[in-house]
Amino acid sequence: MKSKDIRKDYYKLLKRKILASMILVPAIPFILAVMVSYYYFMTSIQTKTVSKMVRIVEDHRQMIEFFLKERKSDLQFILDSYNLNYISQPEVLRKIFYTLQKESRAFIDLGVFNEDGLHVAYYGPYELAGKIYKDEPWFKEVMRKGFYISDVFLGFRQVPHFIISIVKKDAGETWVLRATIDTLLFNNLVEKVRIGKTGEAYILNKEGIFQTQRRSGGDLMDKDKDINKYLTSPEEIKTFIEKDITGSTYLYATAMLKDKSWLLVVRQEKADAFMALRSAIYLVILITILGGIIIVFLAFYMSNRVIRRMELMDEEKKQLSQQLVMAARLAEIGEMSAGFAHEINNPLQIIRSEHALIETILTDLKERGNLKSSEDTADLEDSLHQINVQIDRCAKITRAILKFARKKEHVVSKIDLRKIIPEFTDMIAKKACVDGIIIKKEIPENIPFINADSSELQQVLINLFNNAIDAITLKHGSHGGKLDIVVRTVDGKVEISVADNGCGIDPENIEKIFTPFFTTKPVGKGTGLGLSICFGIIDKMGGTIGVNSEKGVGTTFTITLTNVN
Amino acid sequence: MKELKIMLVDDEKRFLATTQKLLAREGYDILTAESGEEALEMLKSHNIHVVILDVKMPGLDGIATLKEIKSLFPLIEVIMLTGNATVESAIDGLKSGAFDYLMKPCDIDELIKKTAEAFEKRQKLEEKISMARTRSYMKSPREILKQTEGT
Repeated sequence: MKSKDIRKDYYKLLKRKILASMILVPAIPFILAVMVSYYYFMTSIQTKTVSKMVRIVEDHRQMIEFFLKERKSDLQFILDSYNLNYISQPEVLRKIFYTLQKESRAFIDLGVFNEDGLHVAYYGPYELAGKIYKDEPWFKEVMRKGFYISDVFLGFRQVPHFIISIVKKDAGETWVLRATIDTLLFNNLVEKVRIGKTGEAYILNKEGIFQTQRRSGGDLMDKDKDINKYLTSPEEIKTFIEKDITGSTYLYATAMLKDKSWLLVVRQEKADAFMALRSAIYLVILITILGGIIIVFLAFYMSNRVIRRMELMDEEKKQLSQQLVMAARLAEIGEMSAGFAHEINNPLQIIRSEHALIETILTDLKERGNLKSSEDTADLEDSLHQINVQIDRCAKITRAILKFARKKEHVVSKIDLRKIIPEFTDMIAKKACVDGIIIKKEIPENIPFINADSSELQQVLINLFNNAIDAITLKHGSHGGKLDIVVRTVDGKVEISVADNGCGIDPENIEKIFTPFFTTKPVGKGTGLGLSICFGIIDKMGGTIGVNSEKGVGTTFTITLTNVN
Repeated sequence: MKELKIMLVDDEKRFLATTQKLLAREGYDILTAESGEEALEMLKSHNIHVVILDVKMPGLDGIATLKEIKSLFPLIEVIMLTGNATVESAIDGLKSGAFDYLMKPCDIDELIKKTAEAFEKRQKLEEKISMARTRSYMKSPREILKQTEGT
């Protein structure tokens, strides 16, 4: 019982070890593979997202620059085509403006200034002619540089706008042409960029004032409080990830415009930008979980199988060694009892002789009339008879022992079970018939021949048949007995089973039935050697004999023979 | 009345004594020997018809004694008595010229029966021998005639 527990613990420990290694060994490369692929996947998605951002910024910058350049060249054309006097005529300016508007609807108004900052001529929705702009910063700037694009400002009209102005220095006269650009149109130009759900574009000036509206909040002329977080560079496009004032994290891409110190910003919420990344993470998690489950399941399955296999093998080994021990013990017992039986036979012979002598003398005495027949003589004769009976009984036992232990030469031949088993059953057929037992044989046609001594096989099978008949009559009397003989091939071995529906064997006896002298039959009826002889014979053949019995239901003896022809 | 002479060879003295008494009572002439050597010695000086021989004896064992008897006294019939139930030892005996075998413990009646059978065989054999001898003495008249013509 205790050793069984130890054995169980051993298997448990072993199973745990196998399970652990079976999980760990595939899990390590699996996790490594998942991690590496996740890393590369992530990097690639990030690179792709960022480069897409950069491309959008670049395209957009080009577009804006192109827009401004066009507007500038529009003005340049006018400047080159007219002189101050001519253009100062309101009618001329009106015509020019309409021509200009045909070119681009972004122009709101057009103004001409002399070098003192006087608004000489104006065409547009406001009454601005005659105002002096000499001290306005844009005017100073354009006089200094010759060309100027302003930031968005309110100016006299108190409406956000920005202007483009160019100076013309012509033989003695210097004048300035100024056009106002529709911020709404410009705004749309910039704002129309849409990436994902949260992608947006806007322009900031040097001080961080919004030059275009930002969709996620940030009106024209407002200050972007995050201005010092932007990474900028005059030529390069910069990308970075930063938290803005509201706390959301954005992926930014920034570019400086060439002609103007404006900063074009394209940004997208990080989560939105890396949406693909998130689904990739989900996928990786899913794969990891699924893979893990598969690995664990397989490990459980495999380790269970291995352990079951091992248990089975150990069990077989145990059985085999048990059988070996039993065979050795039987051989030992056989040898010992053979010598024993032989020695008993000599005194038995003497007793028999003495008995015969007494009997003869007694007869003589009676014949001669020296002894009268009486009750005493009758008792004496009965007693003498009993001595003879008991000698016979002893003789029967010693002969059985000697038969059990004999070392006979085997006459091995090719045996056709299909032929020989019916012969054996015929031998007991009459006895079985008297006891009302139905014998059923099931021997398939493809049963291979076996190599064995047929007389030995006969001894074994007849013994089993007789035992079965005894067991059946004990339970059923002479009605309803069944004896089934089934021959099959199992894994290349031939299996002969003899099954009866007799009284069965007590569980406590089942381990002893192959032991010599063990019998449950009444004294004088059985020697207890039959099954041990069977065991010895089958063991010598290299086969095995086993028993399966249920008390009151029946018994099945199974002989497995390996010496198949 | 019975001219059958038996010799019983066994290493068990009591068996010899009792069986001798018993057979003597039945009217048989019986000698006993305790070993193979003794038996062979006695056979030289006694005319014995049937020998009952135990297979297992110290010294010269049953089979060896049997072979010796058969070579020295081929006419003597031998019945083997074996304490071993194996048929092999009995077969060995039969192959070496024993008449039959008995298994210990054997019935005395059976012993007597087998002995009688052996004796009968011996008788027949002896008869044949004497017949053959007589035939060689008695010649046909034609032969006698031929012989006289020749001389």
